Amino acid sequence: MGPDPDAALMLAFQQGDEGAFRSLYERHARAMFAFCHRFVRDAARAEELAQDVFVSLHRSRDRYRPSARFKTFLYRVATNHCLNELRRREHALRQEAEGPGEEPVDMDVLASGAASPEEHYHARVLEAAVKELLARLPEKQRAALVLCRFEGLSYEEIAQVLETSVSAVKSLVHRATVAAAEALAPQHPLAREALP
Amino acid sequence: MTHPREDLTALIDGALPATRAAEVRTHLGSCPACREEEARLRQALSALAALPPPPELPPFFATRLEARLRQERARPRTLLAWRWILQVPRPRLVAIAGGVAALAIAVAVPARSYLETRAMVRDLDLLQDYETASALDVDTPEDAQLVAHLDQLLPSGGRP
Repeated sequence: MGPDPDAALMLAFQQGDEGAFRSLYERHARAMFAFCHRFVRDAARAEELAQDVFVSLHRSRDRYRPSARFKTFLYRVATNHCLNELRRREHALRQEAEGPGEEPVDMDVLASGAASPEEHYHARVLEAAVKELLARLPEKQRAALVLCRFEGLSYEEIAQVLETSVSAVKSLVHRATVAAAEALAPQHPLAREALP
Repeated sequence: MTHPREDLTALIDGALPATRAAEVRTHLGSCPACREEEARLRQALSALAALPPPPELPPFFATRLEARLRQERARPRTLLAWRWILQVPRPRLVAIAGGVAALAIAVAVPARSYLETRAMVRDLDLLQDYETASALDVDTPEDAQLVAHLDQLLPSGGRP
């Protein structure tokens, strides 16, 4: 494992260098917002959660120990915040999952680069199907799926983030992928609309 | 070989050890059911990859975060100082808690005794006759209160 520039920045921040914290923010703010958005699929909640991550980082500077790569540490903080948020909003999520066909239009999705109205529509339907899938997954599977499929973390890195074994991650990722296959299968009503 | 379905996702992700990956691939070559399952999983991954990218960072994200951090810096350090308690090893925490409880008892018992004495003195003051109180053998706050309100027990509204 090579030197970790983020860990060095965090240690500098620990010594009182606020500029180091700003550098960490600049390096990771977008990624943290994207991660939280992929986790909760809601821009306003994702912003709040990503800010929580940086506030936690600021608050816990004295306790930081560079025992793992900073990226892993940051994803662990973010995952915990997202899971706590999901637990708090479990009831609301259940209600959302009951009526995915009546999802309001997510302007973020519509503005995200799909070219034609038809593609906008398919993107929206796929987004709704994935949102429903994530809402139904047990929380560890959800975290493993997001970290693996959207963040591109290796099984070893996910194991560090979730503080579990690599074999447990293998099982979590597999079960979540099987659930995704069922939810996004061509015969699934939502996926049939979304997939070409 | 039994169907290695649990390994199919790890095979697609390139997360299987080389020897195990070779075994699974050999099995796939002769098992249409597992090939179908692998194709289903790959299709799901393609669908997930087709999701639109997340939106850009909201325009005032940094400003709002800075405002929150200003509040954070303004928080009294005394509140933050109590966070050390989370880092104390549990056995030591139990010992500290025991000590605090013992101290609380040591302080609370005399304090209660003092408060009772004060209450008794207040009631005795009402008597305005300490000799009488002494003669009545007043030992407890309840005794003192009873003596203080003896007049209310008289049938003629308090006048002897």
